[in-house]
Amino acid sequence: MFFLMLRQSFVKGWRRKVLATATIVLAASLITALMNISIDVGDKMSKEMKSYGANINLVPKSENISLEIGGVDYNPLEGQFLIEEKSLPKIKEIFWANNIVGYAPFLKTGAEIGGKPGRIPLIGTNFDKPVAVAGDEEFRIGVKVINPYWQVNGAWPADDEGDSILVGALLAKERGLKVGDRIDLRIGGRSGSFTVKGILSTGGSEESALVAPLAVVQKMAAMEGKVQSVSVSALTVPEDKLSRKARRSSEALDSLEYDRWYCTAYVSAITHQIEEAIPNIAARPIWQVAASEGAVINKIQLLMIVVTIAAFIASGLGISSLMVTTIMERSREIGLTKALGAADSEVYLLFLSEAALVGVVGGLLGCAVGALLSQVIGLSIFGALISFNWVVIPVNVTISVLIALTGSLMPSRLITRLYPAEVLHGRR
Amino acid sequence: MADVKKESVTRGRMFLLVLFKSLKIRKNRVAITFFSIMIGASVITALSSVYFDISAKMSRELRAYGANFFIGPKAGAESRTTDAGAIREAVALVPADKLIGASPYIYGVVRLDLGDAVLAGVDFVGLRKLSPYWQVEGKWISVDFDGESCMIGKTLAKNMELKVGDSVNVIKNETGFQKSLTIKGIAETGQAEDEQIFVNLELAGEILGQQGKANHAMLSIVSEGTDIDSLARNMEGKFPGLDAKPIRKVSHSDGKILDKIKGLMAIVAVIILTVTTLCVMTTLIAIVSERTREIGLMKAIGADDRDIVRQFLSETLTIGLAGVAAGMLLGFLLAQALGQAVFGSFITFRMMVLPVTLVPSIAAALLAAALPVRMAVRVVPAQVLKEE
Repeated sequence: MFFLMLRQSFVKGWRRKVLATATIVLAASLITALMNISIDVGDKMSKEMKSYGANINLVPKSENISLEIGGVDYNPLEGQFLIEEKSLPKIKEIFWANNIVGYAPFLKTGAEIGGKPGRIPLIGTNFDKPVAVAGDEEFRIGVKVINPYWQVNGAWPADDEGDSILVGALLAKERGLKVGDRIDLRIGGRSGSFTVKGILSTGGSEESALVAPLAVVQKMAAMEGKVQSVSVSALTVPEDKLSRKARRSSEALDSLEYDRWYCTAYVSAITHQIEEAIPNIAARPIWQVAASEGAVINKIQLLMIVVTIAAFIASGLGISSLMVTTIMERSREIGLTKALGAADSEVYLLFLSEAALVGVVGGLLGCAVGALLSQVIGLSIFGALISFNWVVIPVNVTISVLIALTGSLMPSRLITRLYPAEVLHGRR
Repeated sequence: MADVKKESVTRGRMFLLVLFKSLKIRKNRVAITFFSIMIGASVITALSSVYFDISAKMSRELRAYGANFFIGPKAGAESRTTDAGAIREAVALVPADKLIGASPYIYGVVRLDLGDAVLAGVDFVGLRKLSPYWQVEGKWISVDFDGESCMIGKTLAKNMELKVGDSVNVIKNETGFQKSLTIKGIAETGQAEDEQIFVNLELAGEILGQQGKANHAMLSIVSEGTDIDSLARNMEGKFPGLDAKPIRKVSHSDGKILDKIKGLMAIVAVIILTVTTLCVMTTLIAIVSERTREIGLMKAIGADDRDIVRQFLSETLTIGLAGVAAGMLLGFLLAQALGQAVFGSFITFRMMVLPVTLVPSIAAALLAAALPVRMAVRVVPAQVLKEE
């Protein structure tokens, strides 16, 4: 009898049920999409944040104190400890290798232009160079990858060119250099002739320097195979209590905490692993990027979560009000069932199982629609798919059913309180 | 003529009477309609308020990245230093509510106990606001006239075997300066600052023999786009000896990140707006379609289709307007809760929110009422009243 009534309710009142399901589908898809995005927004924004440049700096372990002011180093390069260039691909072999977006080696020295006195900083680096590493055939290193804010007016030199150079914007203004000019450089006894390929704007000290391919500078400074520092860009998760504790002293962690810290992409864990992989270097987080990134991503995540909660409450109330209407309008029918001898509990059971059924169907459909919706958002904002989190499905179906049930409870109570005679007579 | 007029008067009165009665008698339905429109409108109001304010709020958050503006002597100028007073005046050109922090810098090489190091003279109060990302062990120097203390970079501290609370001799042979300073804090940034020693600007001027001078200044300015470029032009116009420019590394990235966040918020707001509107519509459709009997009765006693549609629409409009008004108030409160929870500050009210909320809410309500009524008026009254 109960199943007959249930089926009848869906067959006869199909329009009502379609409306209820549609509302739940809408609400559930909204919640699915927002939940998916809030879970993934941290990763996505972290990639966007890479436009602030590198967040880890590698320097030789026994480093001399540099006396650099405004890009001019008052220490001679000779006699300094340096990093071997050939050890650098090991950065891509650490536990968090996939989180290493790229790196760029640097070698700074000073050079004289065209025999005029005054040492101009000369920076050697890679621009955009493919490096063979296991597991990533297309891995490229260089400043174009890690410093997307570097802007070149003209063309980027190729890494294997021997006579191309970039001139910083300030220096170009000062010396009246243009794209296509030829300049002669001298370091100590060695000299070389270069063509200005482009004018570089960075807003930093590079603007008053010359930037040339690494190999060229190494040769001129007689420092083959050596680099002075390496900037690494890595995807990290924001700092929290554990990573701050680890930073104060890694001995303070017990083995469980240590494992958790080591296997989380904290900037401190990544620098620790790089130091393990390459001997004789010190990896330091660049806190301007590393700390600020965490702060901003936490804000965005919080924003998305709060918006999701707001949308969740609103759709919950929306579904409840719909449930109230669809039940209230069936007062005559319920009056009749009660007159025929149905107990209150049976009426409850009918309404609640109807609501649960609608909630499950709506919740599942809503998950599908919501997954599509989150992909649309991901593609249009981040140009990448949002990873679908399977947690969302059970959470969403449970939530939909719960909302449908609580929405039905209140009107069911109202309706079972009515007297059958009054309802059937049409007074209520 | 008179008959027509009389008829129109009674029609008008009838219309008002039905409207009034309908609102008064069907309290339950009115309450639910009002409620669902109010919820919808409040969500739309809250989200659009947040959306219109998101740039202002997030650009303030992005100042965690520190300085995004540089003031220094003109390129090609003879000296690398300039008058600290001129820099201070230039900094004063930035509107106070936009300036997060600013500090002048002066650099020089000094001798410490165990070797040479770069000494930087700064304004500590400004620097702390300018660089919230500094990881400081010990304490920041909190006043800018403290001539007995210094802060020191982490690498330098390690190399010179110095700890917080130690004192360090600062010697400058050229000026004959020698003084012992207490280390208040050890700073770690991962950049050049790790190898420098920091004292306040005045003391640095004294040590280096460059009183009242500065190399440059760094500023952290709230910017929502290109306003920072016009600020730079304005500053260079007023102080021809100075070079003022945004720091590309930060300002360029700020713009990109802001665009992303705005885009994300916009698309989320649009989706929530659409879904909430549709939710309100389904509720209203359910409410109106259960009144098919009533429509049959109205037709049976002589109402024509237009009257009925007009009747239902004005009923919905009345409830809808009240609902939207209440929803806006509620939504604005919700926006404040949101703003406090996420940004710790209030969300500004913007006039744009009014039409953005009003138009879709009312349009959805009217559409939701019109659809089922149009279907209902097509039925034959006898059939409906017989409940078939």
